[in-house]
Amino acid sequence: MHFSKALFKQSMKANWVKWVCVTVATCVMLAIVIIVLGSLAINDIRDSLKDVFTQADQESYLKENSVDSYEAYNLSIKFVDGLESEGLEGYMGLAWGMITSSYQQKINEYTTANGQAPTGEALVSIKEETVDELVATIKSLGDYLPAEFQEMSDEELGQFIYIILMAYDDNPDLSATSPDFVETAKASIKDNFVEYAGITAYNLYISQGEEASVAEGYAMQAVELANTAITSYEQKSQEEGFVYDEEVFKEEANEYVINMIYTQTYNQFITSETPTEEEISNAEQYAVAAKVLANTAISTYELWIDEYSDVEKYPDMTQTEIKEKARDEAVESITDQIPEKVAEALEELGNMDIYGLIIGSIFYRIAGLLLPMVFVIMVANGLLAGQVDSGSMAYVLSTPTKRRTVACTQMAYLMISLLAMFLMVTITSVISIWVVGGNNFAINFAEICFFNLGAFLTMFAFAGYCFMCSAIFNRSKYSMSIGGGLSIFMLVCTILGLFGSNVVPSAMRIDAMNVFNFLSIISLFDTVSILNGTIAFAWKFAILAGIAIVTFIIGVFRFEKKDLPL
Amino acid sequence: MEEVIKAEHLTKDYGGGRGIFDLSFFITKGEVFGFVGTNGSGKTTTIRHIMGFIKPKSGKVTVLGLDAWKDSCKIKENVAYIPGEIAFPDLTTGIEFLKAQAELLGLKSMERADELIKRLQLDPSAGLKRMSKGMKQKTAIVAALMADKDILILDEPTTGLDPLMRETFLELILEEKKRGKTILMSSQMFDELEMTCDRVALIHDGKIIDITDVNALKNSTTKSYKIEFLNKEDYLKFKKLKYKIIRDQEKYFQVTVQIDDSDINKLFKTLSNYKLKFIAEVKYNLEKHFTNILEKEVKGGKNAF
Repeated sequence: MHFSKALFKQSMKANWVKWVCVTVATCVMLAIVIIVLGSLAINDIRDSLKDVFTQADQESYLKENSVDSYEAYNLSIKFVDGLESEGLEGYMGLAWGMITSSYQQKINEYTTANGQAPTGEALVSIKEETVDELVATIKSLGDYLPAEFQEMSDEELGQFIYIILMAYDDNPDLSATSPDFVETAKASIKDNFVEYAGITAYNLYISQGEEASVAEGYAMQAVELANTAITSYEQKSQEEGFVYDEEVFKEEANEYVINMIYTQTYNQFITSETPTEEEISNAEQYAVAAKVLANTAISTYELWIDEYSDVEKYPDMTQTEIKEKARDEAVESITDQIPEKVAEALEELGNMDIYGLIIGSIFYRIAGLLLPMVFVIMVANGLLAGQVDSGSMAYVLSTPTKRRTVACTQMAYLMISLLAMFLMVTITSVISIWVVGGNNFAINFAEICFFNLGAFLTMFAFAGYCFMCSAIFNRSKYSMSIGGGLSIFMLVCTILGLFGSNVVPSAMRIDAMNVFNFLSIISLFDTVSILNGTIAFAWKFAILAGIAIVTFIIGVFRFEKKDLPL
Repeated sequence: MEEVIKAEHLTKDYGGGRGIFDLSFFITKGEVFGFVGTNGSGKTTTIRHIMGFIKPKSGKVTVLGLDAWKDSCKIKENVAYIPGEIAFPDLTTGIEFLKAQAELLGLKSMERADELIKRLQLDPSAGLKRMSKGMKQKTAIVAALMADKDILILDEPTTGLDPLMRETFLELILEEKKRGKTILMSSQMFDELEMTCDRVALIHDGKIIDITDVNALKNSTTKSYKIEFLNKEDYLKFKKLKYKIIRDQEKYFQVTVQIDDSDINKLFKTLSNYKLKFIAEVKYNLEKHFTNILEKEVKGGKNAF
């Protein structure tokens, strides 16, 4: 065992004052950082920025919902009007026969092939196949078609055929020659239109990654919208002297949607069964605001539809494109109006983890390392090079103490004092975190422990390096300037590199400064990885430990072999 | 005689003529051996080799038959050392240092240390940083002698001591010598080497020029006398006589004659016939001896150059 208790005691006596000063100062600094910053509302600005973006998200969602609902209402009116139009009635039987026979044929083929009638998805895909074929066929008829069909886009026509097929599923025995054919078919088509609206909404929201329950809610909303629209149209059409006026129904759609939004918002804010007055007035306030927002969105939408419908200005736009562009303009929120880069910077600022930055990247990687680094530089130098330079090493080496024992003992002292120092820092940090709320704090116990481990390993690597220099050089000035100089250089690089690393918001970031991070081994202390819960930090820790072990071993062997001017 | 320390062709070249070159000597058991030489002549470098602090470029040093570099640790069991430069470890008081040193030496009793402290009138409770050069040297002496090792290696041990303390220290060394210790001591003071040493080596420019047996020098029966005559006639007359004149200064009518003690009466009889201004014995000591040798060396060196 290459260890001398007497020499270890001597090193302890020589360095304990430095150890105490550095440890106390570092612990106090850390406690202040965690406790004081923890109790200040440092995240307020961040939260309010975050609110802006959350509200902007809600706003554009509300507007989308308004515009989409408005459009759906209008579509329903248009659909039912088309269905009721005089022109279509004559073709009803023909269309029914043509569409359903092609469909029935495919069903029969399937049944023969599979030995059973198609259900579920199989039936859906047969329907889609039929639709694809028929759209092409019908469109090829061109001028022979009634005006209503000619106006339809492929998509609309496809939807219409699909709905007819759904109606056929409900009434497979319905024949075009039946006396009540037209009435039955219309009624069934209307029913299925409503159902189709629900299914489409459901599929849309599922494809957007919403939960099934949320999608179901939207499906119900779509069904209700279509039902209301159709019922309203039917009632109006019963009235004396009814003439279809698109504007009247648009007005009605607007009215319906903004009321719907009002009700939804109101219900959202009333959570309990017996709401207080304050809650009610609060909910009303928000509901009115939502209603105004919805109204604005719809008017904006209409205005943009008018604008884009100007054929002279926008000659190449199809009906679908016009609607899409108008919708985009109408649903814009506050944040959509800020220039993109500014919005990104603001959003990043809102999402920034200020505690992670201050405690992780600034304290543990820079401020908290400074004093231990000074300790390591001074003590590592004093343990070997300093004593060789002054000549006091002669007293130790004139006793029967091996050089390897001297080197190993001094190495052990450096390691143990550093370990003890970071043990104190760890205890301080854990207590401080506990004081400011434990695991509810922005940084939890596990993360703070990894920070401490990382800081220890970083200092461990520096200690190894400084020890190696102290063992190689006989003069304090060389050991200090080469060992300590490079260590301080790396710390300074980390400070400069901070401005190039992605922990600072992009508004403050200068990417070119990231170069400095490649010049410092402190970059191997990956606080970001610790906070993000990835394991990248683990292998970097292993490298730091490796640097420490290799440099310590080189130091011990070098000290054993060299000439000493004692 | 048992050779306790032996250097064979020891060479360490630091370049630029500095270092030690082909050094060979031996120190037998119980002997006190001195090193003398100018600053930078290589005394300390030689001692560092014996202590195993530096590795010889060629040649080797053995202590008690063990290689000084390879078995450096084992040798220290029998060797005590006073370094040439006084610098203590970063501890507060003298007693703290002595205790730490005792622990490193594995000493159980501080009896010998206390005795030495009394002898040297040292106040070991003084802070190491406040100590005068002399106090520091005393502390270093106590630290070296307290373990009672058989071999003492002392690199200019009297530096900083006042004349009285120096006497005490030299007495101590003589006592140690009586107790059978083998001692190697370097110094720039000829008189203290002359007083303590059995043999003294003169080192110059990294080479041993001469090793002198001090006892032989002290017991020499040949002496020199400087005589000045009052007039030139007497001076010239005397020069014609068959005395061995080692120095002749015509300007002052001075001669220095070297004679054996047995001829002293004959000389005085002769001189009674001359008118003298004065007669004085010219002491022939170690200093004189080495100065003569050095002068020759320097001259010889110059001629060779």
